[in-house]
Amino acid sequence: MADDKDVLRDVWFGRIPTCFALYQDEVTEKEAEPFYLLLPRVSYLTLVTDKVKKHFLKAVKPEDVEEMWFEYEGTPLKWHYPIGVLFDLHALNTALPWSITVHFKNFPERDLLHCLSNSVIEAHFMSCIKEADALKHKSQVINDMQKKDHKQLWMGLQNDKFDQFWAMNRKLMEYPTEEGGFRYIPFRIYQTMSDRPFIQKLFRPASPEGHTHTLGDLLKEMYPAAIAHDGDAKKYQVLIQGIEPLLETPLQWLSEHLSHPDNFLHVCILPVPTD
Amino acid sequence: MADRRGDTWKRHISEQLRMRDRVQRQAFEEIISQYNRLLEKSDMQAVLSDAADGGMRGDIQQEMSQMRIKHQEELTELHKKRGELAQNVIELNNQIQLKDKEIQRNEAKISEYQTQIATLEGDCRKLNTFLQDLERANQMLKDEYDALQITFSALEEKLRRTTEDNQELVSRWMAEKAQEANRLNAENEKDCRRRQAKLQKELADAAKEPLPLDPRVQISPQNGTNMNLFVYFMMRGRSECWAKRCGLSCFQEAHDGEVNAVRFSPGSRLLATGGMDRRVKLWEVVSGHCEPKGALTGSNAGITSIEFDSAGSYLLAASNDFASRIWTVDDFRLRHTLTGHSGKVLAARFLLDNTRIVSGSYDRTLKLWDLRSKVCMKTVFAGSSCNDIVCTEQCVMSGHFDKKVRFWDIRAESIVRELELQGRVTSLDLSQERTELLTCSRDDLLKIIDLRTNTVRHTFSAPGFKCGADWTRVCFSPDSNYVVGGSADGGVYVWNVLTGKLERLLDKHHSSAINAVSWSPSGAFVLSVEKGSKAVLWSDL
Repeated sequence: MADDKDVLRDVWFGRIPTCFALYQDEVTEKEAEPFYLLLPRVSYLTLVTDKVKKHFLKAVKPEDVEEMWFEYEGTPLKWHYPIGVLFDLHALNTALPWSITVHFKNFPERDLLHCLSNSVIEAHFMSCIKEADALKHKSQVINDMQKKDHKQLWMGLQNDKFDQFWAMNRKLMEYPTEEGGFRYIPFRIYQTMSDRPFIQKLFRPASPEGHTHTLGDLLKEMYPAAIAHDGDAKKYQVLIQGIEPLLETPLQWLSEHLSHPDNFLHVCILPVPTD
Repeated sequence: MADRRGDTWKRHISEQLRMRDRVQRQAFEEIISQYNRLLEKSDMQAVLSDAADGGMRGDIQQEMSQMRIKHQEELTELHKKRGELAQNVIELNNQIQLKDKEIQRNEAKISEYQTQIATLEGDCRKLNTFLQDLERANQMLKDEYDALQITFSALEEKLRRTTEDNQELVSRWMAEKAQEANRLNAENEKDCRRRQAKLQKELADAAKEPLPLDPRVQISPQNGTNMNLFVYFMMRGRSECWAKRCGLSCFQEAHDGEVNAVRFSPGSRLLATGGMDRRVKLWEVVSGHCEPKGALTGSNAGITSIEFDSAGSYLLAASNDFASRIWTVDDFRLRHTLTGHSGKVLAARFLLDNTRIVSGSYDRTLKLWDLRSKVCMKTVFAGSSCNDIVCTEQCVMSGHFDKKVRFWDIRAESIVRELELQGRVTSLDLSQERTELLTCSRDDLLKIIDLRTNTVRHTFSAPGFKCGADWTRVCFSPDSNYVVGGSADGGVYVWNVLTGKLERLLDKHHSSAINAVSWSPSGAFVLSVEKGSKAVLWSDL
């Protein structure tokens, strides 16, 4: 169990070195130097980029400033995905630090959601938690919590307080012993090569006969191409939290320990780089 | 197996995470933080240099120093606030600890109370079951009681009916008895009349025949009247003799205890005494001594009065055990017991035809008994306890506690007359001709009442004479010239009827109150009996 606690800590304190550079076409009064920051994997872009905004506002004329948005190599970055998911999906195998371009104009209405205050992020975050609990416990646990408990979850994430967050979150990770696990595992499988945003389906942690499902079983069900058959070379990388767990890892354990703070297991499937 | 496999993927994951952190975080952490610091510094420098270029260095500097001061102040304030907050935290912690302790105490109390409640509930349940048992028992008892009540009322009803039947039967029986008594009376009367007629006839026959005078008198029942006259003269002489020259003849202890009654038999040879020792003793007077002849037993309590029948063959004694008894004198055997009174029988007398007995009792009634059927024929309620009785052919006279002498007609069963005296009547005696009645009363007076005129003829008293008890008996002499009575101080007083004065006082030899006196029909002896169980025979010497 001490190992599991360490795993949780490692997941929570995971960081991605990022370099924010202002878009060249943005008009500046003086030269805007790039801003380096270690972004937390588990948080959201608009939540942790206040310093970035302040830094670049020094350079940009106030009348030109609209809502700040980010893009990487032409792809607008959706702020409502966790930062770790965005990195793993777009820039895992590139050179670090991750270079993000900061825009202040021409907000892409079709690609991104507006995020005008932290309450929008809070609403999105809480709705993800509730959706996850609906899958895990039929929303019983989240509904039994009081408003202050929900607030504590959000404050823990916002202020980067591991203990404060997990004091509440462990309730969401409990399950009745006769069940042996959650009702359904909350997961999302992201892929780069598809129009679908992500795959999310009902999947039980154990078979009706009692056989615990593993990551392999999930992939077999949801994305069979990801599993390499004997003899073939591995074609896809299956990433969770920036690492590739073994296919025999039990799904229930993954959901408990490698989920993001929004209680979802975000899985990224990338084609193996061919360099 | 599972653990090892679990370990494998867990270890793999931990390794992977560590590697990732090494690559992504640790490599860049230091650099980025240094870079940011440099950036800040350069920004600061930029601001400062801009201010220097603009020439407003002084102002900028002032501004800067002001800003610095402001920042310092903010910093100190923040420190203070932090201190306060820390203090608050400590206080709150203390409060929490207190509250925790309180909670613990309360919980302990609660558990205590719960155990108490459990025990009380147990007790309550036990009491409830006990109460139910008691109620059941109570109900059972109530039912039994009701059942018993019903049986009781049924039995009461039965008893009532049987007593009614009984009373009916008794009244019918009494009616039958009365009818039989009437029949007997009618027969007796017929018999009497027949005998009278026969007697008349014989007298007439005898008068026709001349009889030789014989010096030797033959006593025969046919010469009853002559005989009586002769005896009377004899007796008169004798009693006068006795009165003038009487003296002690003998005395002796007669009974164990008080002697209540004494009577000479008509034949003048036997006398009977009765006392509290329940016996009637018979004596024979032989040459001036009383020789004991025998004792009659059978009574259950003391003897109150004695009488012989006119033939001297039966003796009737009334007793304190509410009954009168009759013995035959010759063989001392108890013949009849007459029960029926509800109080002590104080006097019992034969009626003149010797077939009926009248008894007077403390229960204020007089009962008339028939000897042939041995049942009580009539009961009259006298109104007062009857102390003594005498009978004539038609009349029964009774002396009572309420100072009255009542005269009863036998046939009519009703009071003919009543005489009131000044004291309780203790004794009655008839003279030989049955024309005079001697009464003794508690006011220490003896009176002679003329029965034809119903007036008091003579009154006798003496300074020392005190009537000792309610049953003190006095009597006439056989010739009715003297009256003798015993006093409470032990003296025997003899009065002369004609003069009305005390003739003799015999006060020696008796040590206690005299209960009764009796004069022998021959006139030669007087016997007095006293409380102290002595009997003294007086004779003329």
